[in-house]
Amino acid sequence: MDFLLQGFKALTWQQPVMWLIGGLLIFLAIKKDMEPALLLPMGFGAILVNLPLSPVISEDPEHLGILASLFKVGISASEAMPLLLFIGIGCMIDFGPLLTNPKLFLLGGAAQLGIFITIILAAMLGFPLNDAASIGIIGAADGPTAILVAQQVASNYLGPIMVVAYSYMALVPIVQPAVVKMCTTKKERLIKMKYSAKQVSRLTRILFPIIVSVISGLIAPDSLSLVGMLMFGNLLRECGVLGSLSETAQTTFSNIITLLLGITIAFQMQGSDFLAIETLLIMALGLFAFVFDTIGGVMCAKFMNLFSKEKINPMLGAAGISAFPMAARVVEKMGVKEDTSNHLLMHAVGANVSGQIASAIVGGLILGILF
Amino acid sequence: MWNMLLAFKNLDPMNWEVIKPTLKFLWQGLLAIFVVIALIIIAVKLTSFVIAKCEEYKKKKAENQNPDNDVSN
Repeated sequence: MDFLLQGFKALTWQQPVMWLIGGLLIFLAIKKDMEPALLLPMGFGAILVNLPLSPVISEDPEHLGILASLFKVGISASEAMPLLLFIGIGCMIDFGPLLTNPKLFLLGGAAQLGIFITIILAAMLGFPLNDAASIGIIGAADGPTAILVAQQVASNYLGPIMVVAYSYMALVPIVQPAVVKMCTTKKERLIKMKYSAKQVSRLTRILFPIIVSVISGLIAPDSLSLVGMLMFGNLLRECGVLGSLSETAQTTFSNIITLLLGITIAFQMQGSDFLAIETLLIMALGLFAFVFDTIGGVMCAKFMNLFSKEKINPMLGAAGISAFPMAARVVEKMGVKEDTSNHLLMHAVGANVSGQIASAIVGGLILGILF
Repeated sequence: MWNMLLAFKNLDPMNWEVIKPTLKFLWQGLLAIFVVIALIIIAVKLTSFVIAKCEEYKKKKAENQNPDNDVSN
């Protein structure tokens, strides 16, 4: 009868704790609707990989476990999964509001400040440079970029970084309003901005992804895999002749990749590695990165107001982070809360999509500087 | 605080050799991102300008070829 007790005998204290963490992720996904497409597979995966003698994580070449295999092929060998997800994201994004007002692009750049500040802080706390860089990139508020950078720099904390990155993305509506209020005055929050829905020509929309890819490729070649896939997705959307492909990439394709990515990441959530004090530090640093991203964006908007005739509502700076479209929605809600007639959504979407591009470029820049 | 961190075997707090390169990340990273963004803004503005001019030219050409259309309109 000994064989019936094998699992119990192999149980370690970390494993039940990880079941609880997995359960918490599933709870957040179902009950709180926080990034359910990702947190649910991650939560279930966390339980799967932390069952004693779990065959799904077997790294024996003759009996390679399914999650070990997916991780090796989809993430470790080529980073294919996060990159393919970027095609879907690119298809979902309408760059129209940004093309109407290109100076909003600056807010996307400034809202990456938290990444660099967090890298410095992580290094001060004692993380090695590769880990510090991958912790800082949590501030990109962009899951695929965080996965790609953490994987390429061979970070030891891929699991915690993923969990923290996606959890904080879902917490944007809680974190950002407090920071924005702290950095702005009531008068600034009441600034109204006109939105002239200028027609952006189809040719501009088609040329935009090509231009961005070429410029990023020339100045930050390491960002090309991320930016290239994002822009390829956008070209599919804007070309106008691949409607069904674009629709598939936005829905079915993205869903399949997200589902596989979520459960594959769980491979890195094995209790023995995950339950470390460093994980708590990474959580604190992730929050720090989000806060400083928001401050960077808001301060940039304020700085731009010193020189521009048409004032920018500084809250738009908060939408410069990559969490799309949550950050834009937060700004719209805050604007309407201050003044029911103050609609900032279209401007915020412009800043938000610029953050999407900027975070991918910064991911590549970090890789470029590091290697 | 630092003593507490020193207790973690994997961490090496306040190591200047590790901190120094992160300052390079800060200035090089921010400079590069703003250079890329500036170039993208210029390229977008230029593209929009050229496309608008081309369309204007086409419109004028069409008007010159069919002056009657203007009268009828």
